[in-house]
Amino acid sequence: MRIVSRLAAAVLVAALLGLVTPAGSQDQAAAGDVGNGRRLYLADGCFSCHGRVGQGGQYYGPTPALAHSELPFDAFEQQLREPANNMPAYVDSVLSEQEVADIYAYLRTLPGRSDIKDLPAILTH
Amino acid sequence: MARDVHSPNLRRRSFLKGVSLAGAAALSAGTARAQPEAPRRAETPPQPNPAAETAPPSRDPATQTSSGGDFMVEVLQSLDIEYVAINPASSFRGLQEAIINYGQNRRPELITCTHEEIAASMAQGYAKIEGKPMGVLAHGTVGLQHAAMALYNAFCDKVPIYVMIGNILAAEKRAPLVEWAHSAQDPAAIVRDFLKWDDQPQSLQHFAESAVRAYKLAMTPPMGPVLLSLDAELQENPIADRESLRIPKLPRTSLPQGDAAAVAEAARLLVAAESPVLIADRLARSQAGMDRLVELAELLQCAVIDQGGRANFPWRHPLNHSGRARSVLAQADLVLGLELNDYWGALHAYSDRIERHAAPLTRAEAKTVSLGTHDLFTKANYQEFERFLDVDLAITGDGEETLPTLVEAVKRQVDAGRRAAYEARGKKLAAAQAAMIEQLRRDAAIGWEASPITLGRLCAELWEQLRQEDWSLVGNGIGVFWPQRLWAAEKCYRYAGNSGGFGVGYNAPGALGAALANRKHGRLSVAIQGDGDLMFAPGTLWTAAHHRIPILYVMHNNRAYHQEYMYVQNMAGRHMRGIANAHIGTTLRDPNIDFATVAKGFGVYSEGPISDPREVGPALQRAIAVVKRGEPALLDTIVEPR
Repeated sequence: MRIVSRLAAAVLVAALLGLVTPAGSQDQAAAGDVGNGRRLYLADGCFSCHGRVGQGGQYYGPTPALAHSELPFDAFEQQLREPANNMPAYVDSVLSEQEVADIYAYLRTLPGRSDIKDLPAILTH
Repeated sequence: MARDVHSPNLRRRSFLKGVSLAGAAALSAGTARAQPEAPRRAETPPQPNPAAETAPPSRDPATQTSSGGDFMVEVLQSLDIEYVAINPASSFRGLQEAIINYGQNRRPELITCTHEEIAASMAQGYAKIEGKPMGVLAHGTVGLQHAAMALYNAFCDKVPIYVMIGNILAAEKRAPLVEWAHSAQDPAAIVRDFLKWDDQPQSLQHFAESAVRAYKLAMTPPMGPVLLSLDAELQENPIADRESLRIPKLPRTSLPQGDAAAVAEAARLLVAAESPVLIADRLARSQAGMDRLVELAELLQCAVIDQGGRANFPWRHPLNHSGRARSVLAQADLVLGLELNDYWGALHAYSDRIERHAAPLTRAEAKTVSLGTHDLFTKANYQEFERFLDVDLAITGDGEETLPTLVEAVKRQVDAGRRAAYEARGKKLAAAQAAMIEQLRRDAAIGWEASPITLGRLCAELWEQLRQEDWSLVGNGIGVFWPQRLWAAEKCYRYAGNSGGFGVGYNAPGALGAALANRKHGRLSVAIQGDGDLMFAPGTLWTAAHHRIPILYVMHNNRAYHQEYMYVQNMAGRHMRGIANAHIGTTLRDPNIDFATVAKGFGVYSEGPISDPREVGPALQRAIAVVKRGEPALLDTIVEPR
């Protein structure tokens, strides 16, 4: 199991705060198999906290939306391997690096947040 | 479970004083058969007994003109107990018969339940809306055992419930077999750890005094369930001398308030703080509680975190920062906890890892003040009192009752200079809250057309139908956060809180009890209903139909005990075994439960399963029309786990 480096942790926090752009994300998304990523996302239980379409959810508290994740791939993988919070850990023997890339690619295809002007009318009341 | 099996040839009661002349005359005329007491419910027909049938009549009266139960009804009427929820049982047959005949089933009116857990949970929900206890009547042994979890929930939730149980004290008065199995020396013992008070009266006068005492104790903060064990003879036998019995009046009770000097000190700290934060949990018992908290927050222009034990603070108020609690706590230099059960938990992040550890959410120099009645009544065994927090100032007193004094003390200390600073603080908070709501709306739109339906979509559709109504969210079992973030609730009855003790099975009956209280006010009661929770007590739906209690259950049907599924995932992740088996023991699939059919079977209007989000709005409109006619309805919506 990898050791959490201060740098990786800093990148993760920054990414969660939206302070960094997903450098290399497109490369990883291209390398991942979207179909297999979707299958794994549902089969391996990611959906149970983050929703089938990556809309987020609740565990001990709110769990973040992952649809069209802006998290850099390295930070995404780091969070899976050694989560910074109460999220279950996914070690290599459970999810290989390729499988992580597949899930990441799938999440990048999911439609993320809409612009406020495009929200359904009933969400504006 | 057999509860009412009686041997037909066994005498249960000895000769009764005060029997009626008619009964005695009938006996003297020799018209009575040898059976002194007809069997109430026999599993097999009685066998012929020629010896008994030809024996001379005994002087064993069969009728009477009054009963202890009648007097008990008068006492309950004096307390204005509106409803008594029961699952019928022989040990309280005397009081039941008195309620329906002597009291004509009016105040109290019996509510028929299919399980004692339903009865007690209904009483919990009712009390949170109506502000007073509802009765529960149960077998002293097996019925109370069924009710136990619900009473624990109510105890944790600081809710008054008025429990009465039947028992047979004297050994020689118990028929063999069932009545012995259904009697106990101390029947309240199994629930005493989570009762506020109990008694087993030995006479009718004793009952009257204990009944009024029980009500008074239940309603004095911190509130909680009380129990009276009623001897069957006391319920059933004639009243020897009615004139000698007196029903004590229920005193007007002044509730405990915080010490004036301590309240002034809290006001001084609040006024001087740069970033004070108010946290409320079980604070607002009435609209006055919510109004005073609003007044205090607006005076100070400070953030409020409503933990949701009650509807303490308007959900869309610009100072409501429940959805960004960590942000405001990180800035806080003073925190005032109002009727918090878990103050420590409110101020700490806790990690569910191999080595459990905690981290404070506030700065080290932040001061803490508590106001509440928690310290006035705490028991030892069950650990619902949570971890100890060493606050800087603990004010013991009822939060709602003390708030007016605190508000006045703050008013006296706020000058013009401070007021300007507060306004600037309030504007910043309002802007942050508006940004949070905008973000939440955007989050709610993710997966808008997805199936299963997202909870954001479900709650948005529901709000669209409710926002023009006088609504009341009477159940939100797992605490779906969307209503508190996106709906506008400005009345304390808009939300009936949660179970208190996290005992699953509360939501469906608790919501029904709250809906029962809402009925006479004409409010539209709605519950977001988990599938796992409903399966504990599905008979709740029959009670809703039978008593014409208008309520809309909108299923949060994720076909799982999903929180437990996530916990098992967590363990599997920790042990590096993959989560492929986490569904075992945690899901409700194969077969999927057809809740619409289940509801129809209980006589409840229903639709579903509904998995297309575009069908939710029209289905809600149809179901709400049914509820507005005074009937219950259920929509089985298939939704995302969380």
